[in-house]
Amino acid sequence: ILEEYLLVEDAPLLEEMAEEDEELDLYNEMTFGLDRDSTEEDTAKLLMPPEVSPELAEAVAEETEAMEEPRPEAAEELEEPQEEGEMELEVDQIGSELEEEEEELRTEEQEEDQEPCEEPNELGDPAVMKAVQSKPTLESQDSAVLDSRIDACWAEFDKEDMLAMDPAVWGSSPGSIPLHHVLEDKAILQVLERPPPSPNVALDFLGSPVQRGYGGSPRLKCPDLRLMSPKSFPQRFLRQTAGYGSPAPFRPVSPSMSSRPQSLAMHFGPMSSSLEPAHFFSPSASGQLNLSTPSHMTQLHPRHQRILTQRQAQSISSKKLWSPKVDPYSGLMTSKEKDWVIKVEMIQLQSENMDDDYYYQTYYHRLEHKQAEEELLGGRNKQEPPKLVTPFIQKVETYDSVVRIAGSLGQVAVSTCYSPRRAIDAVHHALVEEATGSHRLRALHRIEKLFMQLLEVEEMQRKVSLAPEEQQQQQQPCCQEQKSQEVDSIYQALKVRTCSSEEEAEDEFLQVLCVRKGKKLMARLLPHLTQEQAEKILLTITHHLPFLMKKDMCWDGAVAMMCQTVSDPFSPLCPAQSLPLLYSPLNEVVGRMTFSKLIKVLQEMTRPLSEFPELPLTMALKNQFGISLLYSLLSHGERLLSSDAPLEPRRGDFETWTDTVFLVARELSQVPKASLVEPLFLPSNLLSLFCRYLDKQTIHHLEAKME
Amino acid sequence: MNYMPGTASLIQDIDKKHLVLLRDGRTLIGYLRSIDQFANLVLHQTVERIHVGKKYGDIPRGIFVVRGENVVLLGEIDLERESDTPLQQVSIEEILEEQRVEQQAKQESEKLKAQALKERGLSVPRADTLDEY
Repeated sequence: ILEEYLLVEDAPLLEEMAEEDEELDLYNEMTFGLDRDSTEEDTAKLLMPPEVSPELAEAVAEETEAMEEPRPEAAEELEEPQEEGEMELEVDQIGSELEEEEEELRTEEQEEDQEPCEEPNELGDPAVMKAVQSKPTLESQDSAVLDSRIDACWAEFDKEDMLAMDPAVWGSSPGSIPLHHVLEDKAILQVLERPPPSPNVALDFLGSPVQRGYGGSPRLKCPDLRLMSPKSFPQRFLRQTAGYGSPAPFRPVSPSMSSRPQSLAMHFGPMSSSLEPAHFFSPSASGQLNLSTPSHMTQLHPRHQRILTQRQAQSISSKKLWSPKVDPYSGLMTSKEKDWVIKVEMIQLQSENMDDDYYYQTYYHRLEHKQAEEELLGGRNKQEPPKLVTPFIQKVETYDSVVRIAGSLGQVAVSTCYSPRRAIDAVHHALVEEATGSHRLRALHRIEKLFMQLLEVEEMQRKVSLAPEEQQQQQQPCCQEQKSQEVDSIYQALKVRTCSSEEEAEDEFLQVLCVRKGKKLMARLLPHLTQEQAEKILLTITHHLPFLMKKDMCWDGAVAMMCQTVSDPFSPLCPAQSLPLLYSPLNEVVGRMTFSKLIKVLQEMTRPLSEFPELPLTMALKNQFGISLLYSLLSHGERLLSSDAPLEPRRGDFETWTDTVFLVARELSQVPKASLVEPLFLPSNLLSLFCRYLDKQTIHHLEAKME
Repeated sequence: MNYMPGTASLIQDIDKKHLVLLRDGRTLIGYLRSIDQFANLVLHQTVERIHVGKKYGDIPRGIFVVRGENVVLLGEIDLERESDTPLQQVSIEEILEEQRVEQQAKQESEKLKAQALKERGLSVPRADTLDEY
């Protein structure tokens, strides 16, 4: 309402309005402030809560009786602050309605919130209309739907109210028209001329959103708060929400003007003694964004400081441009609160752990590296990266978990932020779900635990690598030791072993591998393992390759694997395969294997299986991972053979090798090209391998196949 | 530009009009009044905007307190360009109707899809058996 008067940029008009403001402030204060004489009856009329306490009701009744004469006028006046510029039009009509209400009030003590009734076709406040029509219960009506209905009425109201409401329009036309009329009203003048009542400081804090618009006196029209008992607040609140909806939500001015005092109450909720005046009272007159300097600004690096002040200046000036209307609700979050949030955020940045704020840490690492580089290239003096000076908070690592008072029995119930209640030392008796839950869930559970361990290992390693040179050399032995221990424990937990085909489904390691995340875990873990451990894993995987290939679906479709169409990885119906995740790390492992070990692995691929008609190697040719692994093994063998390094083969190795090569060649030629899958990587020395053993014709044939 | 480079904060966004996308798919538009360290938001004069095709409808909702973890993203709305949209605003009833129609169509197509897959012997994964997360 009155905020709008301040909105126009026009200085002289502004001044005029400011004056009028003050007068109106005065008026409001007198009407709704704490002038017992004139205001209580009005407020009683309008704001009598249903659960009025007996003494209050009496007092009100008294007042009502006592005040015969000023009533009609007061009734009229009462309307003024509550309407949005439509004052003079409504005053007369309302006056009479109010008188009716008054009578009602006198007869019944229990009265609903009496808002002035208005005809729907009047330029009435829709919220008012809403409140009057019925006693809407929140349960019966969705406030949103209600609001939308209000919307319809509001639209009408809107157009007609444009002149008064829209400050832009106001700016052009003599803005004081409604005011002018207001001031012409004798009744109002009468009130205005009355001496101002004594302010009630306690309620000042509630006035802030209103005041922000005024920049004026901290007067509040919330006598209802004074009258009402706290318990009646929720009731009020509920009933008010029904009518409160902002049909035109982005008008900063609240549309439900007649319910102003209540709406203010609504903003701040029940009166609480804990509210400090300082928090709510914002000194800024034009509702600007209150970007105050944080209290710890002095600790900020000058560059940051400069940026902040610049930004503040910028935002203030830009604010002036974009906001023709003053936002009466701005500054709800005080500077103190903002500072606090900033402080908390800064504290969160202080951490040794990379996990806490990865982006912040990385940003500064990169910045430092860049500057270090620049320094090297440019040969400039060492530049200090501007570091954010965060408030240093001593992180409390330990706390007294048990507080014992001498002479007391047992523990005292001490609550801290770490432990809300420690009355009893609760022991965790819950059993880990073993019997219940599917394989997958159990596997996932294990994977999670192992992943956490792996992440710790990697974290340790990263920290070591980030530390300066000398420290690294010092830490090397003990860190390595620690790391290998950790890695070993993970490996042990995996229980890597080959088992019979019957046991495959139950085997824990294989279960882990059936889950996509398990494969990811393996892929990440393999580089950390010793060659021996890694080879064992490779052996196990190859041994169970058919099983794993079969299970390699990211779907639960048991039927799917049997369908021919699904074996094609490029078929849209085929679920995504995740075994290829393992290809890269396993390839590395293969590359370091000895010839004998290689033969052992290859033997796994050539052994006949009971449950499948085909050889594992044949099945592998139809699977992307399988064929890639096979090629990788063959390629490595060829590399070893063609190199000069001593192979140290065991007895029968070479025979097995040649047999395997022949077998592969045979299967490759027999498998139809359509079923053959393209590998992740085609090693270049495979053809030369085949050349060694096979005739030209076959080679050409295979070449075509492998394309 | 932030006076805390390398970090992000909503402090600068206070008292500005924002569009907030929630995890449940709702779109809220309101003035951001207050935040905390969890990015819980207090939105004022909030409007829930429902989009269906090229149309949208607004439902005024009042004050919203949103728990930070439910926010997908949020961004400031440029008030000057706010109305500069090819979308057409319609009444609430209309947009709710449109939404209903759209949901129905989607449900039917899902049903057909599931049926088609079933015929081919495949099954759509249930959410609890998915191991991707």
